Amino acid sequence: MFLITELVALLASNLILTQALGTSTLFIAAGSKKNLLWTAITISVFTTLGAFGACLVDSLLPEGMYDFRLLFYVLIIGILYILLLTVLYFADRRDFSTTRKYVHVSAFNCAVMGTLFTLSDRADTNMLDYIYAGAEAGTGFIFAAFVFTAAFSRVNSKDVPASFRGFPASLVYLGIISMAIYALN
Amino acid sequence: MRNKRIPPVEGFFRKNSVLSGLMVISPIIVCGNTVINALALIYAFSAITFLSVMAGSFVPKKLPYGIKIIIYAILGALAYIPVKEAAEMFFPGVIDRIGVYFMLLAVNSLITVQSEVKFYKMPKGKMMLSLLCHILGFDAVLLIISAIREVLAYGTFCGRIVDSDILISGIGMPFGGFIILGIACGIYRYIAPSGKNTDDFGGDSDVFDY
Repeated sequence: MFLITELVALLASNLILTQALGTSTLFIAAGSKKNLLWTAITISVFTTLGAFGACLVDSLLPEGMYDFRLLFYVLIIGILYILLLTVLYFADRRDFSTTRKYVHVSAFNCAVMGTLFTLSDRADTNMLDYIYAGAEAGTGFIFAAFVFTAAFSRVNSKDVPASFRGFPASLVYLGIISMAIYALN
Repeated sequence: MRNKRIPPVEGFFRKNSVLSGLMVISPIIVCGNTVINALALIYAFSAITFLSVMAGSFVPKKLPYGIKIIIYAILGALAYIPVKEAAEMFFPGVIDRIGVYFMLLAVNSLITVQSEVKFYKMPKGKMMLSLLCHILGFDAVLLIISAIREVLAYGTFCGRIVDSDILISGIGMPFGGFIILGIACGIYRYIAPSGKNTDDFGGDSDVFDY
């Protein structure tokens, strides 16, 4: 019962399927399962580590400077971007030309930035709540990628009319999944 | 990068950012359900994107790709501040309704991805024309989809009641946005020249070339 409750909570808080955050990124990476998996994992790293910085910004930024929140979030993701590229470079120089692409595509997009903006609504003021909510959003992206992969071959199949094959059919498919999740709410 | 010799005006229709590349679709899906929302988004998107991309064109090309992307995102975040101040005067109440999507426009794909892979490879004049066409293409799609959704979901147009026999409230919801955008994208591909082959469509996947 606990697992079902958690699964429903994960579905209901899924940022792609409920708020369309990160849909473009999902489509970019959908070309291959490997790209999709690694992009989803990289986005999860960004949302989880970014949540730490978002908590600091939200607690330290004075109320009158609310409009500067975006600028500070961008700086946080920028620092993470450089850190991740550095870690990947020193971890495996041979594959760096491949692995860096996932960092490039995952850094500044709606999935990551949108998660940071919604964290303050989803979490209490303590750091652990933020990091949990960040990790949950990342897991939600992996789940949405999994749901999308399941139908990828069908929406790209020759049975679908040429004009609707690929992106258009994928959007309609995500719309139907999103409708089901709306019903769960 | 695919299709290197693309006429700059093609960003309006044949290489439309939304319908061809599926870029910046989150605000359209979630907030593009009334014309008033659409006008606020159009204003913010156009102003932030134009200012950021033009300012970003002065960033030295020799810098590493990652550093340039961070600078472009910072420029977008800086452009957002005065644009939001002005938006609160022009569209009182609408900005709160749009919420995070208003801020997310400041880190949209045209600024953080397409600027580097497309715009900054062009001469300045051609770049400005191409950028304006991409912006107008986004604006047109957002306005049309919002008008259709507002009429079908709420039976209004710009907040005024219209004679609509059928109301489908779900079209105003995010899932309705997914479905309407999917249908619009399919119709666009049917109409657009050489649009039937999915390989012809670019979008942010260009980033994998880096």
